Amino acid sequence: MADTVVRVQNVSKTYYRDAQPVPVLEDINLELEAGGFLALMGPSGSGKSTLLNLIAGIDRPSGGTLEVAGTPLAGLSERGLAAFRARHIGFIFQLYNLIPVLTAYENVELPLLLTPLGRADRRKHVMTALDVVGLTDRKDHYPRQLSGGQEQRVAIARAIVSDPTLLLADEPTGDLDKRSEEEVLILMKRLNREFRKSIVMVTHDPKAAAVAEKTVMLEKGSLVAKGA
Amino acid sequence: MKFLHLVVRNALRNRVRTVLTIGGSAFLMFVLVFVMTALTEIYAWEGQAAKKNRVAVQHSTGLANPLPISLEEYLKGPEIQAHAQHVQKLNWFGGTYQDPRNFFARFAVDHDQLRELWSEYTISDAEYRSLCAMKNACIVGKSLAKRYGFRVGKRIAIVGDIYPVDLDLEVVGLYTCADDVRLEEQLYFRWDYLDELTGGEKIVGTYWMKARTPDDVAKLKELIDGRTKNSSDPTETVTEKEFNAQFMSMMGNIIGIVMMVGGIVMVIMTLMTANTMAMSVRERVTEVAVLRTIGFTSGHIRFLIVAESVFVTLTGALLSLGLALLLFNVFKLSPAPQFFPYFFVAPPTIAISLGAALAAGVVSAAVPAELAAGRKIVDGLRQVV
Repeated sequence: MADTVVRVQNVSKTYYRDAQPVPVLEDINLELEAGGFLALMGPSGSGKSTLLNLIAGIDRPSGGTLEVAGTPLAGLSERGLAAFRARHIGFIFQLYNLIPVLTAYENVELPLLLTPLGRADRRKHVMTALDVVGLTDRKDHYPRQLSGGQEQRVAIARAIVSDPTLLLADEPTGDLDKRSEEEVLILMKRLNREFRKSIVMVTHDPKAAAVAEKTVMLEKGSLVAKGA
Repeated sequence: MKFLHLVVRNALRNRVRTVLTIGGSAFLMFVLVFVMTALTEIYAWEGQAAKKNRVAVQHSTGLANPLPISLEEYLKGPEIQAHAQHVQKLNWFGGTYQDPRNFFARFAVDHDQLRELWSEYTISDAEYRSLCAMKNACIVGKSLAKRYGFRVGKRIAIVGDIYPVDLDLEVVGLYTCADDVRLEEQLYFRWDYLDELTGGEKIVGTYWMKARTPDDVAKLKELIDGRTKNSSDPTETVTEKEFNAQFMSMMGNIIGIVMMVGGIVMVIMTLMTANTMAMSVRERVTEVAVLRTIGFTSGHIRFLIVAESVFVTLTGALLSLGLALLLFNVFKLSPAPQFFPYFFVAPPTIAISLGAALAAGVVSAAVPAELAAGRKIVDGLRQVV
């Protein structure tokens, strides 16, 4: 039996707007096994991104427990969470969120600056990651010199460069044209199948969700269905 | 060091704004360096004192009042000679050489004690013999000679102002001073020549002597001032450092103003850089959140923002120091040669300037860094800038 990478138990999240509680997630229970690929679907405002943020350790739940890569997140300090993210999480954003003043190479190198790796070792890792996403020839380009699809592939390279336990993708194809979307989805599938990366992907696009092994639906903060 | 490229790239993200901020910092830092160098030069005179055990006797009411010639006999008598030696009369002549802007010190002194009392000066035996042989002879510091083109044999006419007489001097020697090149900016001529010009009035500005040991200074004060206490010309015996400090205290307000200018410069530089940093960080809220999502800690974020601010202020400081060193130390320019024949940017000034730039950089970034590091990641990711 494979190890469980993500274990979400009875998780709830409530925001407060002008002292008024706004429940976003309620009693969520979810598991993802190592090497699994889960798509989180649902309409806007259903709590998909919030759940992803909780799994990433960039937000804290109002109730329930989260265990990611064998680490209970509740017991971690802010500093501990930062170290956890650096070690275990690769995050892919909808809007790529590359640093505009850094080249593709330097953007991919960013997570490695937090490791004790020397320059030569960092270079090896960066070039491998860029090779996986097929952008070694664009390593010296700045984000403004890349297409949207290329930017997202650089962002994916940045997410995988430190070989994290879990990849989290928040609408990774949401801002791409059809062709780039396909390229990114093929890449995500390859990362899962070929490199055995565990992935949780938020999407509202059924086509994107189809590349995942498993899909769960969120609606108004609750899990309503699980699909194969 | 591995974050350096990130710091520099972020600092240069908005080049116009950064260049203007660096330019502003450089200008303000130049003002600070200028002000500190002026202060250093003023205090340099005081700093040279107290090394040679020299003691001055002046009128207790101030330097404007002369001392009696009769005091010389007592000072050269056994009671004082047990504690001091090389007694010398020394008068500040003042006057004008060609143009009032040609300012340098002109002293009438007892030439026979010159070498012993001012032992840091070096002059050849032949030149010293010429000074002793010729009543209107004078010696000038090598640095002063260079500035005005004085050489042995040159006649120097000085129009009197404090004294109603004009000097017609002939340069017989050039002295050097290894201790401090600033002391080469003086002219010494014979006291007996001045006395002859003033009709033998025996006017004495101050008496100088060298205490035999540092412990003798207090005794000299006690003996000399005690003896003249109830006379018509009471004296005040002071060390060379105390003598020079009198001039420093006269400049008390100027020094205060200069220090205030330095403080204002620092405040403006800090506020200017803080404004730049605040704008820069506000534009990068999402990027900061992304970095933290990747695993950067709040400490990393604080460090990056502070380092960026320090980069801006230190670059400004280095530019201004480079310019100041080039102008003042390499080309030896002085903003007022009559008051500051030398205007050197000293190592402590360089260190203080760099320290001030560092401090301004850290303080400027403190609030923006804290705000950026303290913001919740999800709020940062949600923000559209």
